[in-house]
Amino acid sequence: MTEQSHLLEDVRRGMIPAHIYNDEEVFRLERERLFSRAWVFVGHESEIPQPGDYVVRRVLEDSFIVARGEDHEVRALFNMCLHRGMQVCRAEMGNASHFRCPYHGWSYRNDGRLVGLPFHKEAYGGEAGFRRKGQTLLPAPALDTYNGLIFVSMDPDAPPLREYLGDFAFYLDYYTKQSPSGIELRGPQRWRIKANWKIGAENFAGDMYHTPQTHTSVVEIGLFREPKAEKRKDGCTYWAGNGGGTTYKLPPGTLEERLRYVGYPDVMVERMKRTWSREQLDVVGRDGFMVSAASAFPNLSFVHNWPRVEDSEDVLPFISIRTWQPVGPDETEVLSWFAVDAEAPEEFKALSYKAYLMCFGSTGMFEQDDVENWVSLTNTAAGSMARRLALNSRMGLLEDDATVVPPLSAGQFSGPGEAYVGYGEYNQRHLLRRWADYLERPASPAERIQVNGVEAAGAAGKVVRA
Amino acid sequence: MRRVRTRERESGNGGPYSAESALGGHAPRTQRTGRSLPFSDERHLQAHHWLVEEAYLLDAQRYDEWLDLLTDDIHYLMPVRVSTALGAGFDSAPGMAHFDENKYSLSRRVARFRTEHAWTEDPPSRLRHYVTNVRTFATDDPDHVVVDSAVLLYRSRGDVREAAIVSAGREDLLRRMPGEAGWALARRTILVDDSVLRTQNLAIFL
Repeated sequence: MTEQSHLLEDVRRGMIPAHIYNDEEVFRLERERLFSRAWVFVGHESEIPQPGDYVVRRVLEDSFIVARGEDHEVRALFNMCLHRGMQVCRAEMGNASHFRCPYHGWSYRNDGRLVGLPFHKEAYGGEAGFRRKGQTLLPAPALDTYNGLIFVSMDPDAPPLREYLGDFAFYLDYYTKQSPSGIELRGPQRWRIKANWKIGAENFAGDMYHTPQTHTSVVEIGLFREPKAEKRKDGCTYWAGNGGGTTYKLPPGTLEERLRYVGYPDVMVERMKRTWSREQLDVVGRDGFMVSAASAFPNLSFVHNWPRVEDSEDVLPFISIRTWQPVGPDETEVLSWFAVDAEAPEEFKALSYKAYLMCFGSTGMFEQDDVENWVSLTNTAAGSMARRLALNSRMGLLEDDATVVPPLSAGQFSGPGEAYVGYGEYNQRHLLRRWADYLERPASPAERIQVNGVEAAGAAGKVVRA
Repeated sequence: MRRVRTRERESGNGGPYSAESALGGHAPRTQRTGRSLPFSDERHLQAHHWLVEEAYLLDAQRYDEWLDLLTDDIHYLMPVRVSTALGAGFDSAPGMAHFDENKYSLSRRVARFRTEHAWTEDPPSRLRHYVTNVRTFATDDPDHVVVDSAVLLYRSRGDVREAAIVSAGREDLLRRMPGEAGWALARRTILVDDSVLRTQNLAIFL
């Protein structure tokens, strides 16, 4: 860690040692100190609406069955049989009352409880040899939700999710609560890219600067009403609590006119007016900013945009939620969902889905060019030259750390946190500072869990008997 | 979101996906009838010829010419496949696809490649579409045939990057166009064989 402490100091000053985007040792620390503690998004309640519905999601290598029990509770169950460690669920999604291990036939209810143990009496001598009662698949150490978004943490002492998100929750509502019913999530499209997971998170958090260059082509083909991508510099970036994002500046008008400008029909505008707080409405109606891309630390991102989907002047807004799931230092699995207000008219849902497909996801015309850049960056970051190079991520700061422009005042921006108009790397620095804070703090050994029986020797941490 | 039931799937690569898509309402619904035509059948020979010529255009990224082979009412669909338990009755992500396109959205994708700023294909990939397992079926309409095929795309970018491989089954509805125009593609369902794609994006067509 001696080398790493220099590294973390550099990162905090906004100078990014290029190798952090492709480094085995850094990845090991991320696994041990970051993903072992942070809240990680695994799905949305709308994906599993009925009792027995489940999806299987991962946090790094750990597979969890995210299931709704007969009691309607959502749980995340570690997908490993208590007996010999086989995956008890090998599908990605479905509906099941039980999960039966194919190896020896142990079976578990969809709330995790062990109910079937073949030859319990003959093989174990019944309860005297193996207490079946009270045994369950291991639950994720912590699970919490916000607006139906399901997060797990590998840290049983993780703070409540709402506290972790902090004021970023204010902005999450734009994406996930446009009506009292919240969103429905579809997908995800999944694909693996040879890029480091941090690049996407940083890009979505605050990179308005790349839009005019990377995404020239989508402007040229008339996907957007505005003829110039440079308009991005009129928007602001904000950072609040554990996340931050970018906005577009809307043309003058009332709240209703501005929401209509991005393509929301009146019936949805009315619901937003009833659902969002005064301050949330003021960001749009009074201040004239509309949220676009955003990231919540560490690897959850959002995007909201409003392209043309037909040969007309009309635009259609869409929302995507995605995670950058680390596979290795140079590989990431992207899980990209389409999200839409559950109360939106069916026609809106269909066209919004079309807008999503045209712009983001595996076929999205924005995303295609982003990933090309990120793969290239990751590839170049692997070598010894990258270890000599500190990338300047100080956009928006002068040499004495004063900001190039002052932050927006409360009168100019009614949202929480700190917001700046124009290009800057404020949010990328926020994100990586948080990353540095996690990487600096040594991990405490996780408690071990053993499936009754005798005490296991050599336990590094506290032993809990299941 | 409703799950697309595949229990009742007819033989072949088509399935219920196009009919179930929220964006497939405009698409022709003509279906196959009977067993596959003999390889000596004139319609099969024409369909096979059409697919091979199309593969050439896609390899060469001659997308304007490719677009001319598509009918105005085309539905071009590539569902997101998911692993489900045997007997679950569905095998695609409800309400989600990779491609769910009409002529307009395909034309935007093609137009983008025509700009000088589609970085993901500059330098261009080296592409090879291998087309095989071609089976042609008559329909109730003499001017339409349904064609199943398998396609394997080899996509190589740069010098040392590992190449991407995409394997898929396809069901196509081909329509005989008036005059000398020959056949055109009116509906395509692409059943990709991966749940998690191993390519950086789908800046290609299958």
